[in-house]
Amino acid sequence: MSRNLRWSALVLGMLGTAGALALHWMVFFWVPTERTMGVVQRIFYIHVPAAWVAFMAFGIVALASVGYLWLKDERLDRAAVSAAEGGMVFTSVVLLTGPLWGKVAWGTWWTWEPRLTLTLLLWFIYLGYFLVRSATENPERGKRFAAVVGIVGALDIPLIHVSVQFFRSLHPPPVVLKPEGPTLDSEMLVTLFVGLGAFTLLFFSFFLFRYGLEYARNQMVRRGTPSEVPGLSGGLS
Amino acid sequence: MKKLLVWTAALGVLWLVPWGEVVAQTAGGATSPLAGQSLRGYTHMFVAYFIAWALIFGWVISIALRLGRLERNLKG
Amino acid sequence: MEYLRMLGAVVWKDLVVELRTRERFAAMAGFTVLVGILFNYAVDPTVVDPQGIAAGMVWLTVVFGGMLGLGRTFHLEEDEGAFQGVLLSPIPRDALYLGKVVANFVLLVLVTALVFAVFGLFFGLSFGRAPGTLAAVVALGTLGFVAVGTLFSAVSARTTMGETLLPILVFPLLVPVVIYGVTATKSLLAGIPAAEVEGNLRMLAAFALAALAAGAILFRHVVEE
Repeated sequence: MSRNLRWSALVLGMLGTAGALALHWMVFFWVPTERTMGVVQRIFYIHVPAAWVAFMAFGIVALASVGYLWLKDERLDRAAVSAAEGGMVFTSVVLLTGPLWGKVAWGTWWTWEPRLTLTLLLWFIYLGYFLVRSATENPERGKRFAAVVGIVGALDIPLIHVSVQFFRSLHPPPVVLKPEGPTLDSEMLVTLFVGLGAFTLLFFSFFLFRYGLEYARNQMVRRGTPSEVPGLSGGLS
Repeated sequence: MKKLLVWTAALGVLWLVPWGEVVAQTAGGATSPLAGQSLRGYTHMFVAYFIAWALIFGWVISIALRLGRLERNLKG
Repeated sequence: MEYLRMLGAVVWKDLVVELRTRERFAAMAGFTVLVGILFNYAVDPTVVDPQGIAAGMVWLTVVFGGMLGLGRTFHLEEDEGAFQGVLLSPIPRDALYLGKVVANFVLLVLVTALVFAVFGLFFGLSFGRAPGTLAAVVALGTLGFVAVGTLFSAVSARTTMGETLLPILVFPLLVPVVIYGVTATKSLLAGIPAAEVEGNLRMLAAFALAALAAGAILFRHVVEE
């Protein structure tokens, strides 16, 4: 891992950690409690930033995949796989924190709330991305196939979004509470933005570390010791 | 004889106290909808924060472990 | 014109092979009819109104049955290494993909018609007042399904996991087809006039078009070596 990469990752990571510490102070000691949902609404300040990062990561996967298929530049594939791994982590955060909130706010672990459903499908698209990548004998082929999955998934996400919204309009949910509540106080808005910033910084920091890992793997392959490379094709090993 | 009277009185008091209502009141106080709601809310919130950071830092730790293993192999 | 001729050659080749072997059609047709029989016992039609859940049953049966056939789109060529020959021929990759899609589409439309006929017979369904619109819904939905399925069939056929990977790749992407297809079919079967499902038809068409375009562009990255 090159020195530049490591330093940028470290700096971003420290900024992100500082932001996360500030976020926790704000969430637990500063921000007012939401009137209707009570204290559980504070999950919002990690749930929404995680969702933002998850979808942003998928955008990076799609763009890097288009670039990879076009230019066949290994760096773009490394960026795509790093973003996809991060996207899977943050999608999991969204999917696990959402039901914890829903259980208290809506009285049920799972609702077919369109955005939650979309995130679940996004998780499965990421899963397909990694399965395809690791299920080929030829790593180069795996990279191409994963890129195809990433691009088609990104094209389909808006359509899935529209369709699950349409489906909900046919079947109104039992509770009309919107996850954000009716309006956000200015303090809540500030806390949310600190959360968005902290999560974005942490994502890019870890993304760079992951990129360095993929780079080291490629170097290992070039040295001709593929048998010692764990998870050569870049699956979730 | 005195001892017996004391015990009888004590038992009598215990017998006279309407335990059913007391239990109902204290239990009712503890599990009033509002109190239960907020306690549950706290548990859920802390679990959510724990899971979120466990996953995110779990990811970076796994990257560090994989990277360390590879770099040892590259040097060695 | 030349392009269409080459596309037609691919369609013709696939359909002739299918006509001679009848492998994929037999598998899908048998599967769907058997699912119909199983549905009769799983969903007791004397308790549940079959007309109300017919749309969902038909679509899921078509999707599951279709996976069987789509998963083997490239099986014949992979098996004998014959795909190298196809790739060496001067056919553009997108024509090859679109040809495969058309052949699969013909096959799957036949299967879907069979499912409607058999389920209609088994459960005494009425097909509403707009059979033409129903046919359009089914055709557009199937086209979108086939467009996605054919592309990922080429992907999964060349992985070590093979056809088992196909549903994991395709099902999340298929959600719009299922939602718009099932809701439109449900409305039409309930006798609602065709004008009500125009929005669904448009979305199904948009999905099919987007999937065809993406498949035609990306296919060469799947088959190149």
